[in-house]
Amino acid sequence: MTDEFSTVSEDELHAYVDGHLGQPERERVEAWLERHPARAEEVREWQAQAAALQQHYAPYARDEEGDRGLLSTRRDQGDAVAPPHAPVLRRIAAGLLIFAAGVLAGTYTAPTLAPDRPLETAESPDSLPRQAQSAFLVYASEVRHPVEVGADQQAHLATWLGKRLDYGLKIPDLSALGLSLVGGRLIPVNGTAGAMLMYEDGSGQRLTVLLGRNRDNRETSFRIASQGGLETFYWIDGEIGYAVTGEVPRSVLQKVADECYRQFEASDAS
Amino acid sequence: MSHGRDGSEASAGADASAPDAFEENVLTLMPALRRYSRSLARSDSDGEDLLQDCVEKVLARRQQWRGVNLRAWVFTIMTNLYRNRHRHRALHPEVEYDEALGHVAEEQNADPLQSRLLERALDRLSAENRSVLMLVVIEGYRYQDVAEMMAIPIGTVMSRLSRARRQLAEAMKDDNVIALRRPK
Repeated sequence: MTDEFSTVSEDELHAYVDGHLGQPERERVEAWLERHPARAEEVREWQAQAAALQQHYAPYARDEEGDRGLLSTRRDQGDAVAPPHAPVLRRIAAGLLIFAAGVLAGTYTAPTLAPDRPLETAESPDSLPRQAQSAFLVYASEVRHPVEVGADQQAHLATWLGKRLDYGLKIPDLSALGLSLVGGRLIPVNGTAGAMLMYEDGSGQRLTVLLGRNRDNRETSFRIASQGGLETFYWIDGEIGYAVTGEVPRSVLQKVADECYRQFEASDAS
Repeated sequence: MSHGRDGSEASAGADASAPDAFEENVLTLMPALRRYSRSLARSDSDGEDLLQDCVEKVLARRQQWRGVNLRAWVFTIMTNLYRNRHRHRALHPEVEYDEALGHVAEEQNADPLQSRLLERALDRLSAENRSVLMLVVIEGYRYQDVAEMMAIPIGTVMSRLSRARRQLAEAMKDDNVIALRRPK
């Protein structure tokens, strides 16, 4: 399209449909649509959709008698659940803010994530992110029992998982990133006992950290694997492979991976 | 942040940190929240279930609320709950198609067949695309607000919105029904 009006973007068409444009922009889009009948037809279709959806769901925007009761009865349960987590809660209040900030920052440049190490190209490390992603898919969606041992028994969790992995496991504290520990579970990784730790932010967005023994005893630098919106950062450090998985922007996940790396490294040294 | 079409004002207010004010504010959000949960769900009962889970979570996490824009915070919690459940269902598909539709919409809508087709077409959308579509079209959020709520770049919001609209149009065509009413 070479005419003088060919400056209307797809985004502007949506903004037009959603009524986000001011008068002059609206007129410009309308003039353009007159010259582009195929797009005009599509825009009409979107408008019709929007009208149908609004009409369809409007009746649900109502109060119900039980609402007040819902709020007060649930409140007791809420308070009963809250205390074990209370010390963490205050620190993770910034959770949403950090997540949003990470996104707004857009091109977040990673700090030095991993020391320079030779890259391995063998297939075997690739199974680690795959296992991490299946574990995430299975357990992050569990509402009632996502973990075997909850965050309220953190010391027990570390000892128990550490013993099964035969590794001095220190559970990373990710509160500075707005993530609180949900808990952990024992999980098979590479055919032997591994551990999965689950964290979540203030909005309920979950992340998992998977640890598994690595028989080949090799090392890799940080790598990324994504599949269907799931991102995994993983690395192998001697005997243990680590994988951080979440359905979050890469920049956020990178911060988490960096923090885990730092804390695991520190616990190795001690 | 915009407050959506119904104009519920439940944002901010230092007094909202008091327990009663918090609950009162959540209570004013219930109509919009019920509409949003239903727009994500496959059936009335599914929608009420999601709404109750959300309220439970909101109350359990009240200490985490930063004191600004309660509405966006609560909607974000709902969106995440929905995504978690949707993922769960993808792994354990026990779909209840027969009771899939509600009674309220059918009472109100002239054409129950049309609502049925619309719902079925919506059920084909991914959780991500559907929630973006509903936040924009039903709840009246601006693209930037949706980006912040879902912690995704605005470009992703636009591509999900675009995909949702195209897939919905396709699905409606597949069902061979172009019964959607045109606006004047």
